[in-house]
Amino acid sequence: MNFRHVYIITKKELGAINAEKTIILAILLQLFIAMFSSFLIVGLAVMYDPDALSDYSRQKYPVAYTGSPSPLEEMLQESGDFVVYKMDLGTAVTALEERKLSGVVWVPDTASDADQPVKITLYTIKNDIQSSVVNNKLRDVFVAYEENLRDIRGDRISSDPIVVNLPAEIPGTNFYEFVYGLLIPLLIFMPAIISAALIIDMITEEFQHDTIETLISTPVTFSEMIWGKVSACFVIVPVQAVIWIALMVVNGIAVAGIVPILLHVSVASLLMILFSTFVALHYRERTSAQFIFSTAVVVVLIGVLSLPANPANLIVLLSIGAVGSEHWLVLAIMTGVLALCMVALNRYTHLVEKTALQ
Amino acid sequence: MLSALRQILTISKWEVRRSATTMPREVIPVAAALFILLILVTGFTQESGIHLQDRMYTAGVDSADTGAIILGDPRFTVYLGTAGETDLTISPPNIRAADTDRGGAALKAFQTDYTHYLTAQYNREDDLFAAYPLWIDLQYVKSELDFTATEAGTGVSSAPDPFRNPTPDRPVKAVPEPAKEIGYTREELRAGLVGSEGEDRTVSRYTDVIAGEGALGDFKTPSQLTPPLPFDVIVLVFVFIFPLYFTSQFYMMSVMNERIERRGEILLSSPLRPSAIVLGKMLPYLVVMIAVTTILSLTTGKTLIVLAVIFPAILFFLAAALLIGMAARSFKELSFISIFFSTVATSYLFFPSIFANIHVISLISPLTLIIYAVEGTAFTLADYFYSTFLFWVTAGILFAICIANFNEERLFTLHPLRDKVREYIASAISEKHPFASLFGITLFSIPFVLMAQLMLLVLLFNIPMPFSLVVLTFAAAFIEEWAKSIGIYAIAVERPAFLTWRNVILASLAVMAGFLLGEKLLLFATLAQISESLFGAALFTSLQVIWMPLSLHFAGAFITISLIKIFGKRVYPIALVIASLVHGVYNLYFITGGF
Repeated sequence: MNFRHVYIITKKELGAINAEKTIILAILLQLFIAMFSSFLIVGLAVMYDPDALSDYSRQKYPVAYTGSPSPLEEMLQESGDFVVYKMDLGTAVTALEERKLSGVVWVPDTASDADQPVKITLYTIKNDIQSSVVNNKLRDVFVAYEENLRDIRGDRISSDPIVVNLPAEIPGTNFYEFVYGLLIPLLIFMPAIISAALIIDMITEEFQHDTIETLISTPVTFSEMIWGKVSACFVIVPVQAVIWIALMVVNGIAVAGIVPILLHVSVASLLMILFSTFVALHYRERTSAQFIFSTAVVVVLIGVLSLPANPANLIVLLSIGAVGSEHWLVLAIMTGVLALCMVALNRYTHLVEKTALQ
Repeated sequence: MLSALRQILTISKWEVRRSATTMPREVIPVAAALFILLILVTGFTQESGIHLQDRMYTAGVDSADTGAIILGDPRFTVYLGTAGETDLTISPPNIRAADTDRGGAALKAFQTDYTHYLTAQYNREDDLFAAYPLWIDLQYVKSELDFTATEAGTGVSSAPDPFRNPTPDRPVKAVPEPAKEIGYTREELRAGLVGSEGEDRTVSRYTDVIAGEGALGDFKTPSQLTPPLPFDVIVLVFVFIFPLYFTSQFYMMSVMNERIERRGEILLSSPLRPSAIVLGKMLPYLVVMIAVTTILSLTTGKTLIVLAVIFPAILFFLAAALLIGMAARSFKELSFISIFFSTVATSYLFFPSIFANIHVISLISPLTLIIYAVEGTAFTLADYFYSTFLFWVTAGILFAICIANFNEERLFTLHPLRDKVREYIASAISEKHPFASLFGITLFSIPFVLMAQLMLLVLLFNIPMPFSLVVLTFAAAFIEEWAKSIGIYAIAVERPAFLTWRNVILASLAVMAGFLLGEKLLLFATLAQISESLFGAALFTSLQVIWMPLSLHFAGAFITISLIKIFGKRVYPIALVIASLVHGVYNLYFITGGF
């Protein structure tokens, strides 16, 4: 194989990617997916975690306390999140409908140590963001009140759970797990999937536009052309991974083990690209090749993720610096598989060249 | 009419025959095998779990009993003995976290596990009402607030006065005192509690939601008070949207294939009308999509509702597939645009429905209606109209554009995507009545503008409040200015001489009229609900008194066009930014009721 020919093809394909601005769309896509998942996780966490919101607003919400007196009234006042009004139920609910209140609590005259539970009625506006926030803050007060009542009824509880005194304020948020445990593997493997789809388009295009004959009538052989395309698709993967990691680092997210991460990504992505090259060479027609490839990718991804110590998991562990040396073993095995695949692909290209192109 | 129908059917027959003969024989069996494999793998994953975040943290525990609390959590590697250096050291009642980010995160993870542990203990308590002495009965109240209050410029909320009880403006209505009895037996409650224990933790761990939806509806323990995540949504998206996406890919490819080596020339030179070709090629895929949706919806038992809801989405997917198939220059471009489009479209359907039980914004996605149907929540015809309207309209407009451009010139020339889009728009501008065309283009751009803005609305939801409002305002203004100027930009590129000052003013007027009419029409048609929230105010402030938005839309368009006229078409992006800044500041001014 003449490596200069491979290099020429690689350069040509990279030039085409650059000219069509496809790569920009690809990066946009990854950005969008990052937003997608950050919306899912961070957005929901904010939605469901009032503390995250209350950093921005120390607003006090007006709530009405109705019904019988109880320690809850004082607890609401002391929480600092509410302005509590003592009102009668009808006025309070009408004021709530006009949004002059954020919630109305009705407390019955059930004794703290009664057999029956205390049943509090909470009036709230359905389908409303503010209500969700207020309900979250009310939840904390209710949970504290529940603890009180549980203590009073403590002698009726038979189980004896292990007591762990958690610190009152837990530093850090779900952000850590989201960034390292989801965003980093996602962003790092997206380019691999994109490149694998890209190679299918590159190869089937040559067949469907009948440009393949022109191409191999040049000094470039068929298999050199395929390897050129493969390497064009491959080189953009680690580059994108480096960009993502650099962006993370710039944003103050320390990433450990960058070199091993890049090694893992390179091996895994080249494997995926080789796999889709097989598919493309087999079908030589985009619709079928893409269809089979994308279905197979879903199967493989789900399958791989359900295995312990899979490459994505290893990347998570590498990025937080919590990995043992076993990841080198996984890398060695993957590299072995990769070498076998490369030999196989080389043979297959010769086979295709002989049977299909004569 | 009859002949048109016959034409469509003929094309459909060709299409089916073509795909049956050109597709390699073994694709179907291979796909079937992969599908079976997918089911097997999914089953296996459900057994073993997703191993993505395994072993992130280490914990040292003093005894096996303590270790049992977190042993079921794959994120922890648990060591017996508290001497080693671990993220967490647990020897009850003490717990110590390493002074690192990871230590903090590990503590957070432990907190959730510990709560699960406690909950599991309490749920099996004999005296359930000692373990759960407090129950909350949620009663929902309908907001009677008139949104015009905020439109008039009154502040959205002021700090409550702690010394004076709020008094309602309307007469106080009697509310019956709630009963103090709980209305459920101990065992019914216990079943509800135990049932919510097994919720999928891989997702819920992020949200701090300890218990999900209980079987008891609005009757909850305090820790269940957080609104439950509709997990069904994620499943629904996969089940209903992905087949649509796949099938529309085939349509896209079929259109693209006609363009390779000018193969479609024969078809175009036949007496068949372009609309018949386009619709005829589409028909088999439409039938497949409807069939697939019907089969899938049998599992939910609400076939008719699901079909009614999904149908506009199907049309939208097909219309977009047609446009992409007609515009892409190469397979690579086709892949990327289609992946990008489907990601955006899927998230448009997906994001809002997450809030299905929380916020009215969820109704912009038709999927929410499916959730409602499955949950048994009633929805009205108005809701249906509201959530599907944009899909109907945009699909219709896209089809119209594609059919008008389904000719040799557009199909067989390879221009970059941006130019292609510009050409499509330019094709809608008549030489004789440019201003009427501009009016029409702006009018028909409104549904797309709205879709983009609603997308923004959901995306920006997660930024903290004052900031998100500012970003939303300017981004929304940018989209509007873009839509308003795109027609004139197309003219400016094709016929630079057109831009005399007189024409600039007339064009701005035409755009202004089109935009305002479209906005008003849409508002009356669908938007009553969304405009009731503060975010709605950010999008639709320009709808108050008539002359102010008129002059605003005029000013925006005028700024963009005159900058293009003075400095040439290359300043278009900068002109857009300037116009949207002006537009955004105006909107902000009105939302905040003066600065």
